[in-house]
Amino acid sequence: MKYDGRKYVIIAFITLIGVIYAFKLFYMQVIDDSWKLRAQEIAEKRREITPPRAVVFDRNGKKVVENKTYYNLVMCEDEMGEEFDTLGFAKLIGWSKQDVKNRIYNIRIAQDSSWNKQKGERESNYRSYRTYPFLKEMTADEMSTIVPHLERFPGFREEVSSMRNYPYRSAANILGYVAEAGPEDVGPRKFYKNGDLKGRTGLESYYEDYIRGERGIQYIVQDAVNNKVASFENGQYDTTARQADPIHLGLDIELQAYGELLMQNKKGAIVAIEPKTGEILTLVSAPSYDPNYFVGKKNINTYYNQLVGDPNKPLYPRPLASAYMPGSTFKTIQSLIGMQEGVITENTGFPCNKSVVGCHNHGSAQSVTQAVQMSCNPYFYAVTRRIIQQKKSKDINEDAAIGLEKWAEYMHSFGLGVRLPSDLTGISSGVIPDPAYYDKWYGHNNWRFSTIRSISIGQGEVQLTPLQLANVAAIMANRGWYITPHVVKSIGDDGPLERFRKKNYTMVDQKYFDPVVEGMRRCVHEAGGTARLARIPGITVCGKTGTVEDIKLFKSGNKLQRPNHSVFICFAPMDDPKIAVAVFIENAGGGGGTWAAPTASLIVEKYLTGEIKDQAKEKRILDAKLSLWE
Amino acid sequence: MRQNQSLTGSIDWPLFFVVLLFMGMGIATVYSTAYNDDHPSLFDFSMVYGKQVMWVGVSLFLGILVFLIDSDIYRKFALPIYGFSIALLVVVLFMPAKNGAHSWLGFGSLGIQPAEFAKIAVAILLARYLSDLNVNQQNIRTVFITNAILLIPMALILLQNDAGTFIVFTAFLFVMYREGITYDPLILGLVNRIPRIRFKQTWLGTHFIPILFVTVFLSISTLLLSKETIEISFMPGTRVGGIWGLIFFLFVFCVLGYALLRLILNKRDRNRALIIAILAFFLSSMICTSVNVGFKSLQHHQKVRIELFLGIIDEELADQAKDGDDYNRNRAIAAVGSGGVSGRGYKNSMLANTRTGHVPESETDFIFCPFAEEWGFIGSVALVGLYIFMMLRIVKIAERQRSRFNRVYAYSVAMILFYHFAVNIGMSIEFAPVIGIPLPLFSYGGSSMMSFSMMLFILLKLDSQRKDVLN
Repeated sequence: MKYDGRKYVIIAFITLIGVIYAFKLFYMQVIDDSWKLRAQEIAEKRREITPPRAVVFDRNGKKVVENKTYYNLVMCEDEMGEEFDTLGFAKLIGWSKQDVKNRIYNIRIAQDSSWNKQKGERESNYRSYRTYPFLKEMTADEMSTIVPHLERFPGFREEVSSMRNYPYRSAANILGYVAEAGPEDVGPRKFYKNGDLKGRTGLESYYEDYIRGERGIQYIVQDAVNNKVASFENGQYDTTARQADPIHLGLDIELQAYGELLMQNKKGAIVAIEPKTGEILTLVSAPSYDPNYFVGKKNINTYYNQLVGDPNKPLYPRPLASAYMPGSTFKTIQSLIGMQEGVITENTGFPCNKSVVGCHNHGSAQSVTQAVQMSCNPYFYAVTRRIIQQKKSKDINEDAAIGLEKWAEYMHSFGLGVRLPSDLTGISSGVIPDPAYYDKWYGHNNWRFSTIRSISIGQGEVQLTPLQLANVAAIMANRGWYITPHVVKSIGDDGPLERFRKKNYTMVDQKYFDPVVEGMRRCVHEAGGTARLARIPGITVCGKTGTVEDIKLFKSGNKLQRPNHSVFICFAPMDDPKIAVAVFIENAGGGGGTWAAPTASLIVEKYLTGEIKDQAKEKRILDAKLSLWE
Repeated sequence: MRQNQSLTGSIDWPLFFVVLLFMGMGIATVYSTAYNDDHPSLFDFSMVYGKQVMWVGVSLFLGILVFLIDSDIYRKFALPIYGFSIALLVVVLFMPAKNGAHSWLGFGSLGIQPAEFAKIAVAILLARYLSDLNVNQQNIRTVFITNAILLIPMALILLQNDAGTFIVFTAFLFVMYREGITYDPLILGLVNRIPRIRFKQTWLGTHFIPILFVTVFLSISTLLLSKETIEISFMPGTRVGGIWGLIFFLFVFCVLGYALLRLILNKRDRNRALIIAILAFFLSSMICTSVNVGFKSLQHHQKVRIELFLGIIDEELADQAKDGDDYNRNRAIAAVGSGGVSGRGYKNSMLANTRTGHVPESETDFIFCPFAEEWGFIGSVALVGLYIFMMLRIVKIAERQRSRFNRVYAYSVAMILFYHFAVNIGMSIEFAPVIGIPLPLFSYGGSSMMSFSMMLFILLKLDSQRKDVLN
């Protein structure tokens, strides 16, 4: 036949395709492993289980941070079916039918959209086969009325979630808050998955790696809509989730709460430290807020803008971040440096010469102790001048630079002008000016002591945070050393971090502290002391007041003088110090002895005795509305 | 004339057993992929495997019927069968759509797809028509009628929105090629109108299948270039579509071809060469342009499928597509590829089963996936080998027929099976775009099972009576 030869074309064609397919199959199934990996990626999922975050106890074993179980009512549109009884469901949760419909609509449009390059259009990430929370953060009570009826409403079910709870409603600035991990923390190779919580500030953030615990991993075989079908290999590769052991704080939560109460209607800070251990007993940032405000989206939506917009700035962690001029409290350190440098002795006296710098009326100080007691401005002017201008160079300007360099070094050894490596977030270093600092202002070799003399009495460029002030008080209590202040006493049973076990010695020898400490005692307990309101019956308190002028100079030459800041540092008892306190009240008016001293004494008394004997003193502080409160 | 033979007297046993083997393997695979713990019985008729057993039973029953009926009726009633089939294809258009295609006739789950049976009808009528014909008696009428037989059902199937079956019908082109049907009368009719030209036959007409391949090649090239742009060197900044580059290339190709031919040919043939070159250029340009325009006017998801198949989607898009537009194909290929040498074992597939549901349609169009995943390379190659064996066996049967009717019919069966095989398995191994057509005798489904077994049993019957026919 004419076309019989063409059968070979067809036979060859069929055979060729068969051979090609066989080779392709050989390549795909035997040689190339990528499809096997892809199959695994599709079907097997690591399901990771997040344990609840570690609970936190205070120094007396009181639970400060706990986890509270909440319930979400979740919905899956595909499971709802066409005959869903919307009206019945609306009745069950006490909504109107329209509300339910609106809510479902809102869930749909609230999902992010992403760019679909193929279609060249934005596309919602909403998937009708996925579950989305319908009602969030419900309590067990609220849920108990709904759950029994859920059977009638396919597509809805309850889901348990755990959230932070702060039973004491205080210490917000220490504890910090948690929030859903952001996109930069979430990923296949990262710890967090979508919707996981992560510590954002404070303790929750600093100890995040510990607090979050260990994730459990479950290998499962999944179907196309991400439902679990079976455990993988009977779960032999699975690990269980482990909640971290509790964290123990050095904080005394009741003292903290008391401190926050005392500081109501005031702006400022209270920091109390146990001198021997460096544990922070109390760290009040006033005004403060209830840490529960930052738990759950419901609360955040309600309170966040309110807190951000508050003119008193409650979110600002004043004890850590706010650097203030320390005022006369600074004189304690100046005298110590003077003695250590040998420019004065314990018994050096200077006349109260008001021509150089203003002072209040008192007799001339004949010793360091008296000078501290009377807080004599000209005395410390003279002392600081001797520290700065030691005539180590013939050029007076250069000489000042040498002196200031040394002075700054001393200050750094007190933890001033450096960022204390504590375990809190948002810590500022304050300012201790060094030669480079003034060179920038005045030009190199263009300044001397008289230019920078304000530093001698803790004004001018010197700025300390309340935490640093409290640390100074602790140094005074320890007579020369400190342990970096920290809040966590023990991580599980492991004790504090290594660096919180080490004593940091100042550059001043222990022997020089006694006259200064005696001066601080007299400040409180002798007639004519500036801190008489800090007296506590039966307890020897050593303290030093500070009164900081708040003057703003405008470019126009106008001067805005606002009420003085009231500052006080103290420790007690004198011979076996248990607590060191710094109190800073912004624009309180009066002096350091008027407001800060009695406030500090209440903290000390409360901590040492557990009660307040002088009710009138307490009432006066509680009632006071200071600090240009808005 | 007819000898009184036993019913199965000269049946082709190898083909018969391969058919039964495929049916058995199909049931086993459907059972494995759709297995449900609550319905463990293979004969549970609420499950697809129970139904498949039933369909196989029905098909074998139809097979027996076919054997009882004299094979002469197909020849005699070719036209009425064809007419009935066309009528069904028209009726089905008015039926409600299922999965976007108006291809189901019937009620509830018991429906049939007339398109499946239309293949048989076309094969029979084509065989009938060609067997009446003297091979050399080719004219415009022959071309028109053979093409009409093919194009009428194709058009109706296209109206049903059933692209898969539509493509399968082009299998008949191979049959026509084997039978020497050419488009020559058509081409000659056109070309010879041009003054001074008198062709007796044209290369284009006689070799329309090879030319078809060229067309396909040009179309694919056009698609590959559809996303490219070319910057014209003497007009910097101007970018034109890749299609223009292709047309330019065709132009150069034709000019060079003509120049080459001029050197070889004598003076008389040079003019013909010029005409051929011009014609080739215009025809190929037309093909490219129409493919380009047609592609641009496709719906988005169709475009993406084609792009994925051609591999012209960029990697980021492919990555995005693997859980989107390319979901089915990606999972199907992963299932096949993860089979390894010997597979995961029977009923142990991880992706291709209805329990996890990663591979959609794993009991119908993607049935090769569970088989390949469970039996691995050894099983897959055996299956491919069996199909090749079956098709070559049918070719062999075709070539031993005395009657042209039988031969055309047998080739039709072979080529339809070939198309189904090549496309169905091809789409699970990256060789073909996703086109929903069943794997013959294997996929779950009554219509395809019945139509394929009827097709094969008719062939077996025709073959068993081949000696009766004097041609």
